[in-house]
Amino acid sequence: MPRRKLSEYRSKSIINSTLGLSYKGWSIVDDDSIPIDGYESYTVKVDQAVKGRYKKGLVLLDILQSEIYSAVDSLKRKGYSSILVEPYVPHGEIVERYLAISIRRDGYWLSYSDMGGVDIESNAESINEVRLDDATDWTSLSEATYLSVVQLQDIFNDVQTQYFSFIEINPYIIQDKILKILDCAIEVDDAGMYAVNSWNESDLRSPRTEKVTPEEERVRTLDKNSPASFNLSVLNPQGSIFLLLSGGGASVVIADEIYNIGLGRQLANYGEYSGNPNADEAYLYTQQVLSLIDISNAPYKVLFIGGAAANFTDIADTFDGVIKAINESADTLRNNNVRVYVRRGGPRQEIGLAKIKEALDAQRILGGVYDPTTSITDALTTALEGIKE
Amino acid sequence: MIEIQKFREEEPQTILLGSHPGVIQSMLDYDYLIQRAKPSIVGIIANGRRRERYFWGESEVSIPVFEKIEAIDEKLRNKISVIINVQSARRVLSSTKAALDTFPNLKLVTIFAEQTPESHTVELIELSKSRGILIAGPSSVGVLIPGHLKAGAIGGTQHSQLSNAGIFSSGDTAVVSTSGGIVNELILTVTNSGLGVSFALALGGDRFPITTPANAVMLAQNDPQTERIVFFGELGGTDEYEIAKLIDAGEITKELIVYIAGTVADLFENPPQFGHAKALAQTEDESSSAKKAVLKNSGAIVCDTFADISKTLKERAQQPMDHESRKIGERKHSLIVSHLSGDKNKDVQLLGRDLLDTVNGNSFASLTLSMLLGKQIESQKAVEFVDFVMRLLVDHGPYVSGAVNTIVAARAGRDLVSSLSAGLLTIGSRFGGAINYAAHNWIQGATKGISGKEFVENFVGNGGVIPGIGHKKYHTDLPDPRVEALLKFSGNTNGDRYLKFALDVESITTSKKGSLILNVDGVIAAIMLDILESELGYTKQELEELEQIEFFNALFVLSRSIGFASHYLDQRRHDEGLLRLSDNDVRYIG
Repeated sequence: MPRRKLSEYRSKSIINSTLGLSYKGWSIVDDDSIPIDGYESYTVKVDQAVKGRYKKGLVLLDILQSEIYSAVDSLKRKGYSSILVEPYVPHGEIVERYLAISIRRDGYWLSYSDMGGVDIESNAESINEVRLDDATDWTSLSEATYLSVVQLQDIFNDVQTQYFSFIEINPYIIQDKILKILDCAIEVDDAGMYAVNSWNESDLRSPRTEKVTPEEERVRTLDKNSPASFNLSVLNPQGSIFLLLSGGGASVVIADEIYNIGLGRQLANYGEYSGNPNADEAYLYTQQVLSLIDISNAPYKVLFIGGAAANFTDIADTFDGVIKAINESADTLRNNNVRVYVRRGGPRQEIGLAKIKEALDAQRILGGVYDPTTSITDALTTALEGIKE
Repeated sequence: MIEIQKFREEEPQTILLGSHPGVIQSMLDYDYLIQRAKPSIVGIIANGRRRERYFWGESEVSIPVFEKIEAIDEKLRNKISVIINVQSARRVLSSTKAALDTFPNLKLVTIFAEQTPESHTVELIELSKSRGILIAGPSSVGVLIPGHLKAGAIGGTQHSQLSNAGIFSSGDTAVVSTSGGIVNELILTVTNSGLGVSFALALGGDRFPITTPANAVMLAQNDPQTERIVFFGELGGTDEYEIAKLIDAGEITKELIVYIAGTVADLFENPPQFGHAKALAQTEDESSSAKKAVLKNSGAIVCDTFADISKTLKERAQQPMDHESRKIGERKHSLIVSHLSGDKNKDVQLLGRDLLDTVNGNSFASLTLSMLLGKQIESQKAVEFVDFVMRLLVDHGPYVSGAVNTIVAARAGRDLVSSLSAGLLTIGSRFGGAINYAAHNWIQGATKGISGKEFVENFVGNGGVIPGIGHKKYHTDLPDPRVEALLKFSGNTNGDRYLKFALDVESITTSKKGSLILNVDGVIAAIMLDILESELGYTKQELEELEQIEFFNALFVLSRSIGFASHYLDQRRHDEGLLRLSDNDVRYIG
């Protein structure tokens, strides 16, 4: 149930439509040529779940129609790919209000304040919190928030049926008795994606600006098409430590222990597979990690194939895939002066570990192969002996 | 909150929601290795087969499969104490709720699926609290209590992983982890250090673990076997602050050894979502370093490496435990499993006894019924009824489909087996199969509490004849004498609920047409059901199973085989010659 952020464009579209209000905005992701007109001036901003956009200069106000695309380009040059254009409508002195609903261990909570706006965090003491349940007094909530009971319940209904973990409407204003949503942010629970109709995968945003490498892209595709899970992040293309990890917990532990001894900057990548992938999937994943090795110019490199003692991932099967990929790239690995270390346990570990040891030995790239009787720390210490800060 | 000690005091009775052969086999292997007399898994809720076959040590065992949770009878429901939920994320909420409502003595649920929606988990948190049931997960590999319980994949899914893990007898160190792989890693770290595990609990890496780290640490605090706790947590969420508070408040006094993963997140400008759903620090206080600092400040032993954990534990193992290794040998699934008969010590056995003992102890009818039901039947009444039915069904003249077919084949010069088969092949929905169909109807009708009238209306609505009702020759004024004879076997302790329902149906159908009387098939089905239930203790589910596997058909097939074989012999004795239909018998409408 990871929480993911929806684009501002989608968040506002959903909430305005729920409240029967109209919303005008243009979301620019790939298509740079959608026609935008009808207003005197515009706001052009990064729509990528970035915190503190105003301070970072990622919101451009009062942009003329003729300047829109140069403004978009200036933001894209900073590495962002998702941009939102909206009519620029300044409003005079008026109370900016804040409303949020979030899910916690003990249920849904609504918070509100009449000191909304960008400075809401410094006005934390102005925020009131109410748990939403059968006993909720919607009438008094309505009086406090200046929203009608129906509006509040419609928002809450969206939160529940559309699997929002968090919605923040900040600020909204009541101008001439009419509600206007000036900004809205929604975090969704991606585990509910199967059941919703107002958002989908394409509406999710991450603040990442780095270009996705081909290797990362291929791992994303692999992850999408498999019941097992895979991820890969390139950290330092010129690093000397390459990780082929398995298991959600152990992978973090291994990366941590490398980082904790001061070798974090040497980490070329972080990535892990879990959920018992089959040999073909393990092969495809390994290929991507091996492909990174050839990019780095480090004089000596270590590939660490690591994990804890798995409960149900079949070690012999997954290692079949790993070995196949290693055998195919063995020349490259030797040319790159790579030593391969393995530390892993789990179902059929005896077979898997023996096979990989034999393969690495035959290819003359064997560093060491360890089972769970050697701690993760000790295996790492041995593996990283030749790596310098 | 349930206490861990409770699980050491009673034998677990476990149901799997969904089938996960790896998990199930490993739990059975654990049962076997701790020398439990029989499997703790008593059922699997899944589609497909009625039973699933697993290894029991080097031998085999089959576990009953129920299509849905409602199919489990009350007697078994009351026994269930553990649920392992391996269903998909989107079914976690509904299936867990159903389990909580169905099993009154439930103590533990483990939820395996990843990607359970947060709002579903929040509902389960509430239920776990109000019902006082320990729920591990979502995304949990389960709970292990050495010597007593392996609930889930925890500890491994291959028997050789269990053999040398040092998890057959209880130690004094509790293991609590948000990660499934790490819980196993830590179990091995504890046992390799010369200590033993008191219990191990995988909380799962979701944002809202139903059993929280603080709950789990309190379980350990309240557990008399536990001296110290090893806890593995991760970045993301603020659960660890609760533990710190409990230490500060003096509620946790046992030694707490902690590892909080995720310091590497500092390396990223925008940290990725690490492997587990909650493993993303949204604020500074959710970071690994902040949580480590606060726990250290409260007096926990915070380890920076796994080697530190191991070293810390070794220092506490003054007299290292000698962990026993137990093995399961080579094994292979057999092609065929039989519960009826087979060789044992070179002697043929039948129904669990020496062949001749069984044969000598049974009349033919009693042996027939015992074999058909797969167990020795002692009820005299049941045997007498089957004896009568077998005699009654033996033949009904050469007019019927099966007899005609047998005669045609015999006169074509075919052998006994071919002719008999030709006759048997006619038995089905129109000829001879009515007992089984009637049994199906009486079970559905009598157990659902509908009236005969409603039942008949449904049937007419469906446009069909009612199996077990109607006769060509007999009617209300000319009752079938065979039915009269069969009715002597009524008077069973269940109040003859099946027969009563069948007669209720008859009273409706005969009011429409005199020939729509309860016939021989219908009455045999009804009385057989009443006897199975009253005399032999069959549950509704077991009766349904008998009907589905055509037990009631078997009675007819066996008895009538005598008739068909006799017709074959009769024809061959008189050597009538090839039967050919004359022009009068066939009309061509071209």
